[in-house]
Amino acid sequence: MAAGGGGTGTNKTYSFKVVLLGEGCVGKTSLVLRYCENKFNDKHITTLQASFLTKKLNIGGKRVNLAIWDTAGQERFHALGPIYYRDSNGAILVYDITDEDSFQKVKNWVKELRKMLGNEISLCIVGNKIDLEKDRHVSVQETETYAESVGAKHYHTSAKQNKGIEELFLDLCKRMIENAQADERAKGNGSSQSATARRGVQIIDDEAQVQSSGGCCTSG
Amino acid sequence: MSLKSERRGIHVDQSDLLCKKGCGYYGNPTWQGFCSKCWREEYQKGRQKQIQEDRELAERLQREEEEAYASSQGAQGTQPSLTFSKFEEKKTNEKTRKVTTVKKFFSASSRTVPKKENQETKAPSPSINRQVSIETEQVSKEFIEFLKPCQKAGHDVYKQCKICLEAMQQKREASIEEQSEYVQDFYHNTAEKLQLRWKMPSEKVEDVMDHIEKFIMTRSYKHVFCPETTDDEKKDLTVQRRIRALHWVTSQMLCVPVNEDIPEVSDMVVKAITDIIEMDSKRVPRDKLACITRCSKHIFNAIKITKNEPASADDFLPTLIYIVLKANPPRLQSNIQYITRFCNPSRLMTGEDGYYFTNLCCAMAFIEKLDAQSLNLSQEEFDRYMSGQSSPKKQDAENWPPDACLGVKQMYKNLDLLSQLNERQERIVHEARKLEKDLIDWTDGVTKEVQDIVEKYPLDIKPKPQPLAAIDSENVENDKLPPPLQPQVYAG
Ligand SMILES: Nc1nc2c(ncn2[C@@H]2O[C@H](COP(=O)(O)OP(=O)(O)OP(=O)(O)O)[C@@H](O)[C@H]2O)c(=O)[nH]1
Ligand SMILES: [Mg+2]
Ligand SMILES: [Zn+2]
Repeated sequence: MAAGGGGTGTNKTYSFKVVLLGEGCVGKTSLVLRYCENKFNDKHITTLQASFLTKKLNIGGKRVNLAIWDTAGQERFHALGPIYYRDSNGAILVYDITDEDSFQKVKNWVKELRKMLGNEISLCIVGNKIDLEKDRHVSVQETETYAESVGAKHYHTSAKQNKGIEELFLDLCKRMIENAQADERAKGNGSSQSATARRGVQIIDDEAQVQSSGGCCTSG
Repeated sequence: MSLKSERRGIHVDQSDLLCKKGCGYYGNPTWQGFCSKCWREEYQKGRQKQIQEDRELAERLQREEEEAYASSQGAQGTQPSLTFSKFEEKKTNEKTRKVTTVKKFFSASSRTVPKKENQETKAPSPSINRQVSIETEQVSKEFIEFLKPCQKAGHDVYKQCKICLEAMQQKREASIEEQSEYVQDFYHNTAEKLQLRWKMPSEKVEDVMDHIEKFIMTRSYKHVFCPETTDDEKKDLTVQRRIRALHWVTSQMLCVPVNEDIPEVSDMVVKAITDIIEMDSKRVPRDKLACITRCSKHIFNAIKITKNEPASADDFLPTLIYIVLKANPPRLQSNIQYITRFCNPSRLMTGEDGYYFTNLCCAMAFIEKLDAQSLNLSQEEFDRYMSGQSSPKKQDAENWPPDACLGVKQMYKNLDLLSQLNERQERIVHEARKLEKDLIDWTDGVTKEVQDIVEKYPLDIKPKPQPLAAIDSENVENDKLPPPLQPQVYAG
């Protein structure tokens, strides 16, 4: 419901907010700079900042404005998380495949996000730095099983070699569109009572919606 | 890049962020600490009644408003202010009371603005009433001019806005949350109507919504900014005192990736401080947001010059915190609340402005909860600095009171430099003397050694032994040669 600011026409533009979460140095900034600027560790990057970036997409005729919010990864800012991810439609949780700890952090974030935002948010768990496969310290099996168990999708990426990043964002957008459409349907045909389904973090009272959790999110 | 060793535990107690009803979801200060669901339950009943009343009021006012709009189109918009004159009378009492509290607040706690230009734009002043009415009229005129090309839709928007303002007038005694909810619903419904009924493209809708926000909020500002029904003012003072008590926090403690020794960087820092202070002088939420965005852009520039790479959130947030600590922006809490309550939500949720605003909210939350660990200090150090018993060893004039004059700061910086130079000069003179002494000692030493050696091995040249002459005597032919040279002894 946070998407699109109303309107049910077929040519509507979706606006999605996606937060990047994960421990420091796992490559959040690198991922988003690669996606939006196609640059990696480049001294000639012209962008002033990499903390808020946008990307316009066209997916099957649907226009999408993606706003990607970088979050401060330092531990001393951890508790500010809820302020950042309030109202977000998607979250990208990044860990470093060579760093076991960073995957544990991802698990904590998942718990927190599900608790606060329920199933409205599309979760992506991302194992970054696959170019360092030889130093892998996190088991593929474990991460994929875990992702499935919490209704998230799992991806492998390398910001350095530009692998898996387009797919990640495209996939996420498709899932967020589905969520938004399901939301519109749930809202019913009458847009006149709108006021009750408007603002901030919405908790859907509809039992069916809540219980279809894992299934609907992984099917994207 | 953040260093792992600097990472510490969680410093904001999570329970502070949870819903007051204990349902397990997160609460939100805008909803008085409830989560959206519990808050809605709390207020639903009262709202239902209110909605009914609004509808009746709206119907009653409809004809009147249409007339007002029609005549204003003829008379270039002088009418709207007339429509409101009746309200102006009613609220006079309330207003004078309010202005005095605002004045009191400002004289007691406002801080000086580093740059002169800011003084002019500062809103709260004794002549505020007059200025406001002129500004309000101007905004109304612009609004009507803006709506004219939209024809029927424009007419409708204007009518709805007047109804909204009337309703806000009626709600003046209601809680601020209720007023906020009403305005937010109004934004939402209007945007939806523009899109569905008037088939406006979404960019145009955004534009119209910005103008609506400006029109509504310029008129409502006085009553809904830092309202007396809330403890916003008290919280403002608390935050202000808190920031003042933290004057000793250095950029090193926060790991701010900004080097203020570079003149361009310190320039950007000053600009960022000016921007964030200026926020308080704006009345329209979007204009306040624009100040935060400008401040953020200056921060990014400062980081870019220092690090020569694009700033990430880990660079940006600590720097924003540092800027807020240095600026101690007036009525920070009230401004944040006001924007949250009355800004067009589409801007806050996904837009760039929204990102910077969110970071400002984070900065304030961080400052409120800041403790020894969040600065990588020991508890003893933190307590000593907090109580003012000692201050951290400063590289430069770091712990000035936030309102110290820039010129004076520069002067002290220069004095500091001069004394450093003096110290170095003295060191050079001292070293030179030492060198001179060393040289003298060295010559003396060499002379003495030479003398010792000369004494030990005196130069003693003996006369040439005689037998040498006998060698010559054997040669008979040598008679014709000149006599051999006789060795001679020279006196030494
Ligand atoms: N080999 C390799 N290195 C990477 C990859 N992605 C990022 N890095 C490196 O990892 C380091 C950290 O990357 P960042 O993008 O700054 O990480 P971050 O998550 O934004 O870190 P914080 O901003 O501190 O939270 C940098 O030195 C990157 O060059 C990758 O795919 N492969
Ligand atoms: Mg980063
Ligand atoms: Zn609750």
